[in-house]
Amino acid sequence: MNRPLIVSALALAIGGAPALAQEDMVTRDRVGPADAENALTFRLTAYDLYSSDEATATAFEELFIDFIEDNPGWRIDTQLQTGNLNQEQARMIEQAQAGRGPDCAMVDSSQLATYKAAGVLSPMNEYFTEDEVADFFPYVRDGITDDAGNILAVWWFTDLRVLYRNTEVVPEAPQTWEELKTAALETVDEGYEGVLFNGGRTEGTAFDWLANFWAQGGQLVNEAGEPVFYEGENRELFLEAVRYYEDLVESGAAPARVTSITTYDDMLAAAAAGTTALFVGGNWMYAQIQSTLPEEEAAKWEASELPGPTADQRATGTGGWTIAALTDDPEKVRMCAAIAKLYLGPGNAFQALLPTQASLYEEYDTYAGPEFEVFSAALENGQARPGVAIYPEISNQIQILLGEVMSGAAEPEEALDAAAEAVEAAYARQ
Amino acid sequence: MIQSRRSRIGNALTYAAVIPLAAFFLIPVIWLVSLSVRTPQEVFLGASRLIPEAPTLANFGQVLTDGGFRLYLWNSVKLAFLGAAGAVAFAAPASYAFSRMTFRGKPALMMGILAVQMVSGLVILIPLYRYMDRLGLLETHFGTTLLYISAGIPVTVWLLKTSFDAVPMELEEAAAIDGLGRFETFLRITLPLAAPGVASALILNVILNWSQFLIPFVMLSESAKWPISVAIFNYAGATNATTTQLLAAACLVAVVPTLIVFLALQRLIVRALTSGALKG
Amino acid sequence: MTATSAPRRAAAPPATGGGPAPARPLPWLLPVLFFIGLFYLWPIIDALRLAFTDASLLDREANFSLDAIGAMLGSAALGTVLRNTAVFTLGSVFGQLLLGLAIALLVVRGERNNLRGMLVLRTLVLAAWVIPGIANGVIWQMLFSEAPFGAINSTLRLVGIPPVAWLSNPDNAMMSAIIATVWQGTAYSMILLYAALRSIDDTLYEAAAVDAATPWERLWFITLPELRGALLVNAILIVIMTLNTFDVIISLTGGGPGRATEVLALYAYNTVFYNFDLAGGSVLSILLMAISLTLAAIVAMFLPRSGRP
Repeated sequence: MNRPLIVSALALAIGGAPALAQEDMVTRDRVGPADAENALTFRLTAYDLYSSDEATATAFEELFIDFIEDNPGWRIDTQLQTGNLNQEQARMIEQAQAGRGPDCAMVDSSQLATYKAAGVLSPMNEYFTEDEVADFFPYVRDGITDDAGNILAVWWFTDLRVLYRNTEVVPEAPQTWEELKTAALETVDEGYEGVLFNGGRTEGTAFDWLANFWAQGGQLVNEAGEPVFYEGENRELFLEAVRYYEDLVESGAAPARVTSITTYDDMLAAAAAGTTALFVGGNWMYAQIQSTLPEEEAAKWEASELPGPTADQRATGTGGWTIAALTDDPEKVRMCAAIAKLYLGPGNAFQALLPTQASLYEEYDTYAGPEFEVFSAALENGQARPGVAIYPEISNQIQILLGEVMSGAAEPEEALDAAAEAVEAAYARQ
Repeated sequence: MIQSRRSRIGNALTYAAVIPLAAFFLIPVIWLVSLSVRTPQEVFLGASRLIPEAPTLANFGQVLTDGGFRLYLWNSVKLAFLGAAGAVAFAAPASYAFSRMTFRGKPALMMGILAVQMVSGLVILIPLYRYMDRLGLLETHFGTTLLYISAGIPVTVWLLKTSFDAVPMELEEAAAIDGLGRFETFLRITLPLAAPGVASALILNVILNWSQFLIPFVMLSESAKWPISVAIFNYAGATNATTTQLLAAACLVAVVPTLIVFLALQRLIVRALTSGALKG
Repeated sequence: MTATSAPRRAAAPPATGGGPAPARPLPWLLPVLFFIGLFYLWPIIDALRLAFTDASLLDREANFSLDAIGAMLGSAALGTVLRNTAVFTLGSVFGQLLLGLAIALLVVRGERNNLRGMLVLRTLVLAAWVIPGIANGVIWQMLFSEAPFGAINSTLRLVGIPPVAWLSNPDNAMMSAIIATVWQGTAYSMILLYAALRSIDDTLYEAAAVDAATPWERLWFITLPELRGALLVNAILIVIMTLNTFDVIISLTGGGPGRATEVLALYAYNTVFYNFDLAGGSVLSILLMAISLTLAAIVAMFLPRSGRP
């Protein structure tokens, strides 16, 4: 418990920072007074309270300080999680099963199913009215409730994939796969890289691409949760979507380097560097474009719905994060639900993320911008990842398969057969 | 003299080989430095802005004013040094036994010690996690240090054995005649004579510990206890295209203190190695 | 927990002059045995046990089962992964040994002749080493980036050479992963070989000088034979480290494109963290251990013991 002592000694030794003389309400590892009688551990991502963006961090500090003032006697012990989702998830589930997990935690929506299956989440039913529950988008509601109708988490924001374009180079938004290829090839003629998207070993690769499979009506798993994407009708739809990506790279509409792109930031960097005029990215990147590019350049960028095989066959992957309670203590579950509501409303509004309740779009001015019309229209075709524990392995195999096909190491059919075999073997062992 | 002309050619050849090698090791660091003093706009201009037009120290400012970073560095220092000292202290007697004694099963035991290191950390970490949990050592620097020590022990045993082997037996025999017991002989004669080897083993351990990632990542979930390696990983995850320059600055902040320490220690070791203590 | 303190038992003075006292190694070995038993053997036994179960991260109950062994060893991906592991390990080990030896020789030669800058070279190599593996991957990702503004490719473009697909071409990706690993790991071989070189008896070289031996002869007939032990021990250590390395790869390529750089350690990691398949991961890591042991044993057979010339 002498950590603050070490911190201050160190601060004095290194920088002589005087700020620690007076107790801070927000530090690296807590919010609220150090001597509060009740403590809640909260594991959060590094994108808000501890964001490297100062404005974001300050805004969330204020939100949290208000929150603590409304809940006297409480302290939140914060734990940062790293960006490695799979490792974090494995660690948190392991900790929760050992009874050492955080009381309350942010969980990626795609991983919620695993937590539900592991039986480590506490219901939050009493803290949400029926109207509030009904206000969630249907796919969100499905994701957060269990078979008995318990609310096991609060999906506090959602996200989706869109096509970004530099309107100066590509004035009209491509609506179909063919139009995207043509438009991308035209940008290549003008010296750009072509269309960029995630193609490396990362969740984004599988998730962004899945929109193309879903747009045709493809199913990853059946009603019983068994993987079926390689069978029957799904097989052909899957191969169609793989060939679409293969063709983009082979024709030069997309550069070969897409197989080394593993973060959305690579696309943002290319946009900022002015080397691409088209890329597939998340809705949150709209705000990043505004803050990264000079105003004049940023104004040229627009988002549109992801192209489909035909103009009226569209889909987009929807993700986002949830907040869930891992504690059994009812008081702590209540606090966790309250934190979740903090993120659901004002937290979202500040970051311009997409809330999961329809009413919030009316409530906050943030959502008046034209881009939100594009996003909410696209959300109509939103598809969440299947809430099954085999999904991470399906995604892993899709990443491998796309990488092999686009780098010319395998043909779509053989790559799909290998993926099917691996997924079936993994599923049989779950 | 012919000798000197030949060595002059040799010197030229030496430099001809040293320079490209040095470049290979230097360029990535230069690139890192270059990125760390760029503004976000210049990051996207690639090699043409190796020397930025408007170099800035603001990135370092932002990293260093983040109180977390100083704490992470301190945690790293603490874990790396305690772990290294522990590994050397616990390995030294065993290395001495392997170097000086003959006993049944010695070769097998030595291979065995090396062999345990061949299990990939990530799978033994999960049994270990459950185990440390039962012992109440999770989330503590003490428990983490114990794992650092264990991680360092196998290599340290081998390294120290090699340096004890180099200490002439005659000196120890003389000490034995003077009536010194075996442990005193080890402490007063062998260990000081093998000091350079012990120092390099210590430094090796510190460096390996400095890069340790999986152990602290699994053992420590409170960010206030993280060493810099975990913090950097987290920072890389939390930064985006607009903060590549911050990540570069953070990487440098993580590396520079150790570099300074090693520079100092490096001279010490070289002096010890060249002082002739070993050559008798 | 109290750590066992160093043994204080003093051996009796030697019964017969000259020879060492009768060996009583146990007290000397206890601290090491304690740590190894507690933090290696026990978890290894547990991993072995897990390999024979259906253990999963999601479920604390585990029952006896041979499925994991069958599924992992019968998996179609294993062949590719093993081939990747062989290429990655061979490339990295040879690269580190050769570069480490070259640098150690150069530095020693430079120091003998009082050349300037040797400390700089040595420090540079060390600098690469103290950079945590995770950061190393981040740095090389920036260097190999195939974006038009990536470090190496933008330099190539400046001098009119077409850019190289460092990470997106499967063969190049493996080479890039090896380069990044060698860049970081060379320091280890360099230090070990440097220390070994410094301890070679100078009189050997003086004798060679009297015989007017050429530099190549000195290297071939004195230096390399004298270094044989150090080189082989070094090789064993690097083989083991390289086989277990995946932090550079995971942050550089993540194993891609496709499966082009997925090595056994990363594959085991993915099995545990994507599939939550603790049993399968245990099988793979035991396979990894078996491979390491076999390779180490092969290298160890060449260690100089009795038949030294």
